[in-house]
Amino acid sequence: MHYMTNEALTTSLQRVFGYRKFRPGQQAALEALEAGQDSLAILPTGAGKTLIYQLYGYRHAGCTVIVSPLLSLMADQVDRMRLTGFRCSAALTSQTSYADRQTILTQLDQLQFLFLSPEMLAQPKMLAQIKQLTISLLVVDEAHCIVQWGPDFRPEYLLLGAIKEKLGNPLTLMLTATAGKATRQEIAKQLRSRPTVVTESVNRANIFLDVDRVNDEGEKKARLQTLVGQLRGPGVVYFSSKQLATDTAEWLQATAGVKAAAYHAGLSGEDRFKIQQQFMSGEIDLICATSAFGMGIDKNDIRYVIHYHLPGDLESYAQEIGRAGRDGQPSVAILLYAPGDEQLPLALGQANRPDEDEIARYYAQPTKFDDTEPTVHLLAFYRQHGISQAAVQELFVKRERERNRALAGMVAYAREDHCLRQRWLAAFDEQAPEHSEGCCSPQNQPLAIDRLGLERQTPTQENGGPVDWQTQLARLF
Amino acid sequence: MGPTDLLQLLDRVQPRRVRAIENLLRGRRTVSTLYWGQRYQLLPLLNLAKQLDRGALDAAAQQVVHQGLATWDINQERLVLTPAGLSKQRADHYFVPQTADCWPTIDLIAVRQRILLAVQVASQFSHQAGHYLPLTTDMATRQFVRHWFHQVKNDQLGPQVLTALMTSLDKLDPVVATVMTAQFTGYQQAGQTLGQLALAYQRTEWEIQLMQFEGLAQIMGDAKEPTNPFNSLLQPLWQTPVSRSAQITLNTVKQGQTLAQIAGERRVKVSTVREHLLEAAIMLPLADFPYDRLLSPAARSQFKAVVSGPVDDWQYTGLPEALQRQYEFFYFRLYAIWVGKRGALHD
Ligand SMILES: [Zn+2]
Repeated sequence: MHYMTNEALTTSLQRVFGYRKFRPGQQAALEALEAGQDSLAILPTGAGKTLIYQLYGYRHAGCTVIVSPLLSLMADQVDRMRLTGFRCSAALTSQTSYADRQTILTQLDQLQFLFLSPEMLAQPKMLAQIKQLTISLLVVDEAHCIVQWGPDFRPEYLLLGAIKEKLGNPLTLMLTATAGKATRQEIAKQLRSRPTVVTESVNRANIFLDVDRVNDEGEKKARLQTLVGQLRGPGVVYFSSKQLATDTAEWLQATAGVKAAAYHAGLSGEDRFKIQQQFMSGEIDLICATSAFGMGIDKNDIRYVIHYHLPGDLESYAQEIGRAGRDGQPSVAILLYAPGDEQLPLALGQANRPDEDEIARYYAQPTKFDDTEPTVHLLAFYRQHGISQAAVQELFVKRERERNRALAGMVAYAREDHCLRQRWLAAFDEQAPEHSEGCCSPQNQPLAIDRLGLERQTPTQENGGPVDWQTQLARLF
Repeated sequence: MGPTDLLQLLDRVQPRRVRAIENLLRGRRTVSTLYWGQRYQLLPLLNLAKQLDRGALDAAAQQVVHQGLATWDINQERLVLTPAGLSKQRADHYFVPQTADCWPTIDLIAVRQRILLAVQVASQFSHQAGHYLPLTTDMATRQFVRHWFHQVKNDQLGPQVLTALMTSLDKLDPVVATVMTAQFTGYQQAGQTLGQLALAYQRTEWEIQLMQFEGLAQIMGDAKEPTNPFNSLLQPLWQTPVSRSAQITLNTVKQGQTLAQIAGERRVKVSTVREHLLEAAIMLPLADFPYDRLLSPAARSQFKAVVSGPVDDWQYTGLPEALQRQYEFFYFRLYAIWVGKRGALHD
């Protein structure tokens, strides 16, 4: 294999992907990296963030190490890498079987792309092995997770800065779809980096924004049913619980005349694959997903995204509605909001956070606690990394303040009376274009689906109805 | 697994341990699990639901009791069907696999992985589709199927695979053939998930899985034929129902060595040797195990004189102390296996 370091970027692009032009942001990020500068690329979902490290990896010797938060999705990512032609790709997570892990470890030095979870990379043994590699590029994918999940959910994220140093400070690319100024600073600080920031506007003009205010849960359910029955698919509805996603998918399928399926971390790899493929081919027109899992959905013509629960912050919300309209066609993002909906994200935030008392009791007698408990695991992590009781207490207090502030931003969006886009973009320090009819409908205005041209067309005739198994089998071959 | 599924695994007369059934499904291969699995005639289910969590059947157990379909014994360990439970068990028209007897000799989970991927690969190949996402599987399966594909690849692969599948599925209940076909992933077919199939055919997900195991066992059996395109793919997945180490122990016993000699030679504890032998006795037909060598006529008549009632109720600790001193638990359990299997023979 020979490397194309001196070849023009566009020539490499043409050679590997067959495209003549970069999409906005890709070239700037690559140029920074080629100049040896860390880069923080904030590009909307679907802007082709993966292409940046694929192309860099192609042009340089050594291994591109990608730290990714989504265990179950890494296997899919590797499959897609292989499909694109990058055969020497592998993923190592806690879900990788022992046998597979051994195979990958023996072939480590032949890999061009290696995906790892932060937890895996934080293991000293694994880190020692990775250290032996020539790392051409370290990629931190979904870098906002450092801020969103790090302190009270996946503390291993907080070690990434130290790990990066232990790996000899390789060139680093941080990727995320949304990050306001505070988040950017925090990412850079955590990763001990002064990156070139490449950013495109978060705004997606083709996504119409809507907040539907309802009075209670019952009304919300009914509203969802009506919307799903009226809107043109394909669509995604986000829930904050697996159970509700599953039950609602079944209920909508039975009552709203749509083909729906649930999509979440509880599914087997096989089921996830099948549902993804059914969604891609149009056999299914609605996916009921849990938030984190939505990141795995890779479809360009999603016409609507509905949030059944209030997300904890506008960054998550922006991430999730970003699934809609990647083809540039008119689409809509609907938030169903009932008074008091903010209680759920509040409770979720608190569930995993120890209070002052618990912290004190743990630090007094750490061995007395079961560290398979998430809260205890978290405290054990901090203690093992030499963080004092006082510092941990302060960290959680600060964290709570941040969470509450982020949630307040989300609630303000839900209750906004004038322009949703303005409210949304302000959170990312962006100026919205002048409000117009095609921009948004806040809680006090009804959503006019017909004006958006997003009403459901009469379902096309089923092609011939069910066939016998012999016919179906014969079609396969 | 829900209450409907659990109901099918219970009996009107024989109280059954829920934990033992759970361990059997999860593939916990202890002597105790295997013993009860054999007593309940549920050994074909061994290892077929590895993903179950500990306690996964508890909710279903509570529900069947709550619905009046079964009752607990005094220790809340064993369930027995009520008359209502028995009539529900029959009225459910639950799927009954015909091939279950051979399941313990097949690594069904691996067969499933290989068949699904092989069908996808052959299907895409026969439509000349080069670029597609392969099903998510472990690397070993992927490598094996790739190897198989390069071996059997020819212009006629599509028709060959189609003919083989048609022949196998045609021997099955049409519902099983339909479920098998609908789960396949291939050219312009994403394949149905367990949940979708369960909904479509009004069966439980576990029933759909049983149907799939039935179909896979049929394909596996037919693939013994050297001309079958799946032959080299599936042949290695036949297994002995007895683990390899237990098999070695058994062979040495058959050659006349004592348990202590075997333990010394194989550098394991005598108790391990005994566990191997119990496993073999449980998993093998009566004639394939050297009961005569291990269980003297004297021991048999001594045990016979003191035990009474159903085999499942016999307790080692209920034996006279003198007998306990004379025979360790191993001999008692072996006797119970022998009596149980002979009983089944005479039924
Ligand atoms: Zn507006």
